[in-house]
Amino acid sequence: MHAAPDGIHVLDISTTTAGAWCSRMLAALGADVVVVEPPSGHPLRTIAPFGPDGTSIPAAYWLADKRSVTIDLDSIEGQATARRLAGRVDILVSSYRPSELAARRLRYADLGATSLIMGHVTPHGMDGPLAEVPGNDLTDAARSGWASINGNIDREPLKPAAWGSSMCAGIAASSAIVAALFHRDRHPGEGQEVDVAEVDVLAGMFAPALARSTYANEVFRRRDATDTLGGPVPVKDGHFALTLSRAHFWRDAMNLLGLPDLAEDPRWGASFYRQQHRDEYMGRVTEAMAQWDKAELFEELAVRRVVAGPVLTMAELAVNEHLRSRGFWVRPEGDPTAPEMPGAPFKASATPLALRHRAPGPGEHTAEVLRDPEASV
Amino acid sequence: MTPPPTAGPLHGTRGVVLTQAWAGNWCTALLGMMGADVIQVEFRARPDSWRGDYGAPIMSGIRDSATAQHPWNCNPLYNSVSLNKRCITLDLGTSEGIDIFRRLVVFADFVAENFSPRVLGNLGIDYAALAQIKPDVIVASLSAYGHDGPWANVPGIGGTIEPTAGQSALLGYAGGVPLNSGQMYPDPVAGLYGVLGIVAALHHRERTGRGQYIDLSMQEANLSVVGDAALEFMTNGTQRPRLANRHTTFAPHGIFATLGTERWIALACETEAQWGALCETARHPEWRSDSRFATNAARKANEDALEAVIAAWAAEADRDDLAARLVTAGVLAAPVLDSLEVAQDAHLRARNVVREVDHPEVGRRLQSALPMHFSRTPATIVRHAPLQGQHTYEVLEELLGMGAAEVDELVRLGVSGIGPPDGVDVGAI
Repeated sequence: MHAAPDGIHVLDISTTTAGAWCSRMLAALGADVVVVEPPSGHPLRTIAPFGPDGTSIPAAYWLADKRSVTIDLDSIEGQATARRLAGRVDILVSSYRPSELAARRLRYADLGATSLIMGHVTPHGMDGPLAEVPGNDLTDAARSGWASINGNIDREPLKPAAWGSSMCAGIAASSAIVAALFHRDRHPGEGQEVDVAEVDVLAGMFAPALARSTYANEVFRRRDATDTLGGPVPVKDGHFALTLSRAHFWRDAMNLLGLPDLAEDPRWGASFYRQQHRDEYMGRVTEAMAQWDKAELFEELAVRRVVAGPVLTMAELAVNEHLRSRGFWVRPEGDPTAPEMPGAPFKASATPLALRHRAPGPGEHTAEVLRDPEASV
Repeated sequence: MTPPPTAGPLHGTRGVVLTQAWAGNWCTALLGMMGADVIQVEFRARPDSWRGDYGAPIMSGIRDSATAQHPWNCNPLYNSVSLNKRCITLDLGTSEGIDIFRRLVVFADFVAENFSPRVLGNLGIDYAALAQIKPDVIVASLSAYGHDGPWANVPGIGGTIEPTAGQSALLGYAGGVPLNSGQMYPDPVAGLYGVLGIVAALHHRERTGRGQYIDLSMQEANLSVVGDAALEFMTNGTQRPRLANRHTTFAPHGIFATLGTERWIALACETEAQWGALCETARHPEWRSDSRFATNAARKANEDALEAVIAAWAAEADRDDLAARLVTAGVLAAPVLDSLEVAQDAHLRARNVVREVDHPEVGRRLQSALPMHFSRTPATIVRHAPLQGQHTYEVLEELLGMGAAEVDELVRLGVSGIGPPDGVDVGAI
């Protein structure tokens, strides 16, 4: 959206992580995003942990690069203001359920702007039996199957770490919205509604497990052991994943670990064979790995061009020379005292993604946004 | 041009793609389901790991089917993330193969790949080379660590990116070891961001006529989805512990066993009203007045005790009955569906996000399709994952005007074809 002739304007009335990440991605692409907060403040501002100044750290991440306007969408006046603002923007992002939109007269049809693109980012979508059922990151993981495969079989299922469901729905929604913009550029005036459900996105991400199960008519469950096929195992100073996929990875890794008989026997080159006969080698491989430091093992495997995964903490990632060299960590432009945060999720040569502003204070831009009813938001 | 009413917002665009495995294949499948004509180019000498080893056995549930012929067309992994594509085979190690690839790129709006960074350059088809042929082309590379920096040539897959992107350190049981997800979560994350990058570049090109290069590092993409934990370290100097299913703020927030084997329920309260509704549904009004559980802050401070009383109560309940009662009461709740239940889930089926797809070798199967709905440009066409080389003749004739005899000659020379190239002994495995 950089270098777009007129810029793209977004109004975000969502209250969830998924909605916030959707509009955050649109902002990173260059759009001007105004987030609507209720008088009590955006709900995400209550999410722990908090920084030394008492403000929410997750909110600082999710609301960055946006302007903030306080509007009470539970009041008739506030709803009218939101409808007026929606008529001046290209994109409206909402996380409300159908009945909540109807009650506020904020349905697409209520807005009367056929060129508007309205992105719905909700737990269960705008139709279907669960459309009116509330949900969150945990219920998404449960209903999509992801919880059923995460974790160990002798323990409870696990949802993805952090906001691993909402964030993905936010990415999917932002891409669907940009696709709708692309269509509108080709067909001027043709806005539309885009409906992205968190549970749908997670079910899409569940596609391989679902297909394996339906092909075999057999449930695909959590792991019964933590071994190198499934993830990290202990090394001297931490944990290390050696999830080898291709034959040459296996050969070179086994030679490095001092297990030449495993390296040179061609049967072990095939991943399906390694899966079926893991008991025949797993003990020896993990014992050999336990003799290594994670950095040392990573470096030696990297030289041999073998996939390798040391478990890194945020402290290690903060000083990671590769991420530093790529300029991944960023501060908001012109804000040298702000803490660094993750930067662009991808690099785009002609339209580099930017982080222009820290998260706004609640309602920080109310006056400037509402002052001129004729100006774009 | 008015697109067909069911083609999707990207109708009229085309990708010529070298994607493979999960991240790349799913990225371009999503673009295909959004309406792009996606032509997958396969390199038989380096088979897609998600088609499987050429000599791998066909899965037990498929093996006895009369139509199942080739293991590489019957792999559920490949078939699950490759809907709505056409597939041609070209040996990019030959000058003929590279020549045809370059001629195809002239007809492409975007090219996508997820090889190791050196591969495109070695083949002479990196962004700079392709922009010579097609100045406004968009090229997207999805790699483990991106195309520059000290780790650029370190290979990686989802299972090794999860630890190096800070995710494994966050996933696991309280006090337990770091875990990887049950399947490689970083891949679909990279795939989704790849879609965003390509669609944003298409939008930019529509407005300016300019193409560009997208360099996506799976590590960076995945670190960004746990970025709140990264910012927590940058702000407070603390590593977030492994929380299992707990929330940083709200309690209860967990998954509990119900009656039976592998019958679990997820439940959470984000408001006092939901907590009150939970206590009422449980017929335990005394929980509400218990000073340990009276406020969210108290529940968070006494979360072990809170989970113990909930676990004891849930253990006596039927999963689906309990989920229904909690949902009716307004509590955040859901049954933990297993992989076959997800395939049959009424909501996902009603939204056509899970649907039946016919495949020539494996038959009619339930699959996950596009998780996006467009009101004006509905994207409702779903085609099975292509058989290897299924569209070689069709695509080369349609785009390059090559006759069948010319393509036959490519097959005779081994530049195209299906199955393992000559000299690969699949019986040796």
